[in-house]
Amino acid sequence: MIKRLLPYKDLFLVYVWREFNIRYRQSYIGALWAVIQPLSMMLLFTFVFTYLIKAAVTDYPKTIFFYSGLLPWTFFASSVNYSLTSLTGNYSLITKIYFPREILPLSGIVMAFLDYVIASVIFIPMLFIYHIHITYYILWMLPLLVLLFVFTISMSLLLSSLNVYYRDVKLATGFLIQLLFFASPVLYSIDNLSLNFKLILFLNPMTFIIENMRRCLIEGRGVVLWQFVFVSVIVAVFYYLCYRFFIKTERDFADVI
Amino acid sequence: MSSDGIIMFNDVWKKYSTRDLFHKSLREEITDIFKREEREKLSDGEFWALKSINISIRKGECVGLFGPNGAGKTTVLKLIASVTYPNQGEVTVSGRVAPLISVGAGFHPDLTGRENIYTNGTIIGMSIKEIREKIESIIDFSEIEERFMDMPVKKYSNGMNARLGFSIAVHSSAEIILIDEILAVGDESFQEKCINKIKDLKKNNKTVLIVSHNRKKMEELTDRILFIKSGEIINS
Repeated sequence: MIKRLLPYKDLFLVYVWREFNIRYRQSYIGALWAVIQPLSMMLLFTFVFTYLIKAAVTDYPKTIFFYSGLLPWTFFASSVNYSLTSLTGNYSLITKIYFPREILPLSGIVMAFLDYVIASVIFIPMLFIYHIHITYYILWMLPLLVLLFVFTISMSLLLSSLNVYYRDVKLATGFLIQLLFFASPVLYSIDNLSLNFKLILFLNPMTFIIENMRRCLIEGRGVVLWQFVFVSVIVAVFYYLCYRFFIKTERDFADVI
Repeated sequence: MSSDGIIMFNDVWKKYSTRDLFHKSLREEITDIFKREEREKLSDGEFWALKSINISIRKGECVGLFGPNGAGKTTVLKLIASVTYPNQGEVTVSGRVAPLISVGAGFHPDLTGRENIYTNGTIIGMSIKEIREKIESIIDFSEIEERFMDMPVKKYSNGMNARLGFSIAVHSSAEIILIDEILAVGDESFQEKCINKIKDLKKNNKTVLIVSHNRKKMEELTDRILFIKSGEIINS
């Protein structure tokens, strides 16, 4: 993929900048939206689980517990949302000019990543407010981020190219993302679940990523190496298949779209 | 025909479907992922947009495509621009292509003229540095006033769109330039300017393909004209 994109790196840059411009044009608070979404979700969940359903979700402060799960989740969900219509929405470009089509979904992911970085800035003071003991395990965040990226890219490539053929994909995705949200440990931790449940939930790579990001950020625990290798292999295979599918269907985008 | 053309069509067939749903197409794609075979037969609702096209264009030539609506002229340009691919046969293009298929292609309505110069310029293969150097000359050539450059393109007239698009394309360093019906828009003085610019491009040894319905202008401009009718090249 990188080999294909390198000659088009200027186009990619300009394209990300273009998306950025389009998104925040005629918007007053602009980039602040990136923080508002996960922050308000966090407050809502904290409220619900403190006053309405008095469940012992975690031993850690609920706000930081939810927020640490919401960060990677929001990145994933908004990447998929941005990229989903990136091909169909740029109909006029695709039918007229050749360039590697993955630039379109990828620039959506870059936008979501910018949001992720902005939203993470809030996270740092939270770590101090709650006196979270930061350990060296935090370095695990890097490989986990890579994993999150690769999985998000695969999903975005797959869904955006399918959406060129069937617009049903767009309708189904909203609902699928909602399902996947509850199948991912944002609201809960899989620690207390039975082994069988754990195995079922681990079918979703987001489970592994979110759970472990939380572990190394606020719980000061590391990642089990063999689990990481196992999930990495699955995500890599998934990426390979999705990218291959994308390349294969790309040739027909202009005819089908 | 020479074999060292910059653009070569070798027995090219292209089919399109009249149906609006493409369920079958995707299913074919999926089954074809691991086996590659040409699909030669037409199925329901499909037709050949191009039939056994052979073209060879040498570097520095200026060629016109002439024919009635729906004859396949734009499909030929799309194949050259690698936007679409032939069902059968081979298209080889050696060199960077700057497409100019129809008016205002690739402009985003919410971005300003200046921003669109950057996006459109990079899409047709210019680097950011190259655009920065040429932007004044692009704006000059388009004859659009400076104060309009920071206005969203959605407020531009069709003529302004076409001028800007044309201006960007001729400033790129691409070797092959495709022009579709562009001569029909813009006022007379701008058309004159376009024609002079195309002659300039020819002098600079660029390869130019023009689609137009104005046969007189085309004969004046091009080295030769290919006549296309219902997907076939005819001699007349």
